Amino acid sequence: MTSLVDRYVFTALRRVPEQQRADIDRELRGSIEDAVDARVDAGQERDAAVTATLTELGDPDRLADGYAGRQGYLIGPELYAPWRRLTRMLLTVVLPIVVVVLVVLDVVDGKSIGDVIGTAVTTTLNVGVNMVFWTTLIFAVVERSGDAKRLKAKWSVDDLPKYQPNRVPIAQVAAGLVWPVLLIAALILQQFSFSDVPVLDPANWSFWWPYFIVVLALQAGYQVWLWRLGTWNRTVAVVNAVLQLAWAVPLIWLLNTDRFFNPEFHSFAQVGTESDVKHWLTVLITVIVVVGTAKDIYDTAKRGERTRRGLPTEVAGSGGGYT
Amino acid sequence: MTMDATLPGHLQELRRGTVVVASLMVLREPGYGYSLLETLSAAGFEVEANTLYPLLRRLEAQGLLTSEWNTDEARPRKFYRTTEAGDAVTDVLVTEWARLDKAITDLDTTTGSRK
Repeated sequence: MTSLVDRYVFTALRRVPEQQRADIDRELRGSIEDAVDARVDAGQERDAAVTATLTELGDPDRLADGYAGRQGYLIGPELYAPWRRLTRMLLTVVLPIVVVVLVVLDVVDGKSIGDVIGTAVTTTLNVGVNMVFWTTLIFAVVERSGDAKRLKAKWSVDDLPKYQPNRVPIAQVAAGLVWPVLLIAALILQQFSFSDVPVLDPANWSFWWPYFIVVLALQAGYQVWLWRLGTWNRTVAVVNAVLQLAWAVPLIWLLNTDRFFNPEFHSFAQVGTESDVKHWLTVLITVIVVVGTAKDIYDTAKRGERTRRGLPTEVAGSGGGYT
Repeated sequence: MTMDATLPGHLQELRRGTVVVASLMVLREPGYGYSLLETLSAAGFEVEANTLYPLLRRLEAQGLLTSEWNTDEARPRKFYRTTEAGDAVTDVLVTEWARLDKAITDLDTTTGSRK
């Protein structure tokens, strides 16, 4: 039978770099024997002394970590903050975009409502778990490669958000660019790729669909212009309102005069009575567009007015404001 | 009182690092793992074997200690001894310790708290 000491030493050595094993083996056994002898000299039974000594030495895996100079954590404090920032961004920004895009593709493809919900749930779980796993794995590898110090994103005061009313956050510019591009892509692709029968009325290619593409392109251009301008003012508010209305009014008009959906597209029938589904989709899209457009026009106008008057703008969640 | 819950953590923070200084000082005379453990605990340093043994190897890898196997006796033992570099580091650490001690003592008298 293998002795307790052997079992302890083998377990510890298993996780120690090979070239150090023989030396640590010899030294560790010596140290254990010294400690056991000391306990026996003090009047303890040998078996009890061995048990007590090994118990005091503790978990052999931890001892091995000590010998090998391994840290007892996956991601250390140096990398934890950037890891948290990246993970949070992936889960709150990238994940919803991926899920929405896939759900929209399913809907456009004429999948049943059950399939669409299934896609939403499985994508959220799959993509979410994958995002966290790969991010964590990469950070853990960096942590162990010893490059953590060099790779560490050096924080400086330049990284502080500007909180200036005349600043356009780059994230907003990016979102403002992605949205029109996605819509243009969806508009073109629904005609040619997703399904045999386009969802939207092909008759509108004579004027309205190209018109929407132009307006969306102008909205993307507006974002770039706003970013380069670097401030909100009355011109911005007016241009924004015109662009928003140029897109919202024809859209609502087309929807409510039954010229939006392709009359040949019948996949709605899978969800419920075709006229009902079309009716509710029309109401839903109309409400979203009206509310969204009104809010955007109001927000932009308000922001421009406050900036013009030099009033403070609230920093959400901080209770503070800035001018 | 939260002292019972937080005190061990503070004490550990404060003691961390003193084992290195003590080991480097003791090992100016060659010694092996268990003997050092005994010497340190007799001198009042609370150190555990599973911390000390890996620490000795780390200090050796850093060049602050050097080691030699002694096989003259029945039980072969690895003897560690503080190197010149180790001595220099010890001096700096001890000076720093003295400076901190003085700084804390001064702080105590200047703020006029009970002593």
